[in-house]
Amino acid sequence: MKRDVLERILWNLSVDRFSKSKFKEDPQKFLSRFPLEAEDIDMILSFDVKKMQEMGVNPMLTMGYWIEMSPDRRMSSYNQKLGSEAQYSASIKG
Amino acid sequence: MAEIVGGFLVPHDPVMFVAPDAPPAEQAQAVWQAYETCAQRLVEMDASTVIIIGNDHYMLFGTTCLPQYCIATGHTEGPLDQLPGLKKQEIPNNEDLARFISAQGKTCGFDWSEARSFTTDHAFSIPYQLIVKRASEIKGETIQAIPIYIASAVDPFISKERCIELGRHLHEAIQAYPGAEKVALIGSGGISHWVGTKESGRVNSEFDRQIIDYCCAMNVADLAQLSDEYVLENGGNGAMEIRNFICAMQAVNGSKGHLIEYQPVPQWVTGLGFIELSVQ
Repeated sequence: MKRDVLERILWNLSVDRFSKSKFKEDPQKFLSRFPLEAEDIDMILSFDVKKMQEMGVNPMLTMGYWIEMSPDRRMSSYNQKLGSEAQYSASIKG
Repeated sequence: MAEIVGGFLVPHDPVMFVAPDAPPAEQAQAVWQAYETCAQRLVEMDASTVIIIGNDHYMLFGTTCLPQYCIATGHTEGPLDQLPGLKKQEIPNNEDLARFISAQGKTCGFDWSEARSFTTDHAFSIPYQLIVKRASEIKGETIQAIPIYIASAVDPFISKERCIELGRHLHEAIQAYPGAEKVALIGSGGISHWVGTKESGRVNSEFDRQIIDYCCAMNVADLAQLSDEYVLENGGNGAMEIRNFICAMQAVNGSKGHLIEYQPVPQWVTGLGFIELSVQ
């Protein structure tokens, strides 16, 4: 159930302009709509994509969320966050 | 009656557009040329409609509804995920054939999800632009294209056995269509690639060659026997797209596959294979 809610949030933050706007405006308020615990909110706000993947979240969503919403948005930083030394990334956005 | 004239298995790698100069020039050129070869062959097949079987990348369909298989039966545009050199455009969908396929499905146990007004993603739009649209330019007349999306990248995944059945249904539905269409099918997908995971950039040529061998032998049965665990371990989460190959191969139901090109390109994070499916 937790994974499914996370996927819903990340999908919204990857593709839905309204959600992206509301998240940028007030992330805590945006996330309060969903059945999340404090540690889940911390995970989202800290862009802990490694932990999300460990919980079963689809990697395409963690990547889309990173590219759209993270302060950095660079795939090299995403790889670092995953603990990867990969030189190349499957960025799906131009 | 409509006729199936052939098909292709080709990749849909967005990194080609984002970082075209990342690989060695010779390797990049071989990949772009492979698309051009497919376009030329499509013209020679004299196809009037192409059905492209691809998969969503968790951007078109969200958690509120994840279809197992979906056909665009109406207005179509795309891609949603525009890239440098791949901009959103109107797609000349063959709506009549698409609706016919969906209606046929209801008579034989295939309840298609229908997209009445649809925006594609790159899984459709890359082969559309580089093969179908290019072939239209060469031919001097519009070749129509129908998007079919199956659940190959977002779970719950469509089973590989169901991909075979779906391909068989497509074959029969196309042949039953009363219009004088010449139909080609494209299975759109990369071979080994890891998308959004820490292994991103790994390419497994041994796995790629195994898949290519099955495809060239038109050995759908053995390809479908590969377990998801094996595919994920050796080909990555992106290689689940072999489902698109299975469905297209079964739909063409041809005699053999011919390898046009294979390039393992870590800079583009994918094993890129191009195979023509012959009906003769």
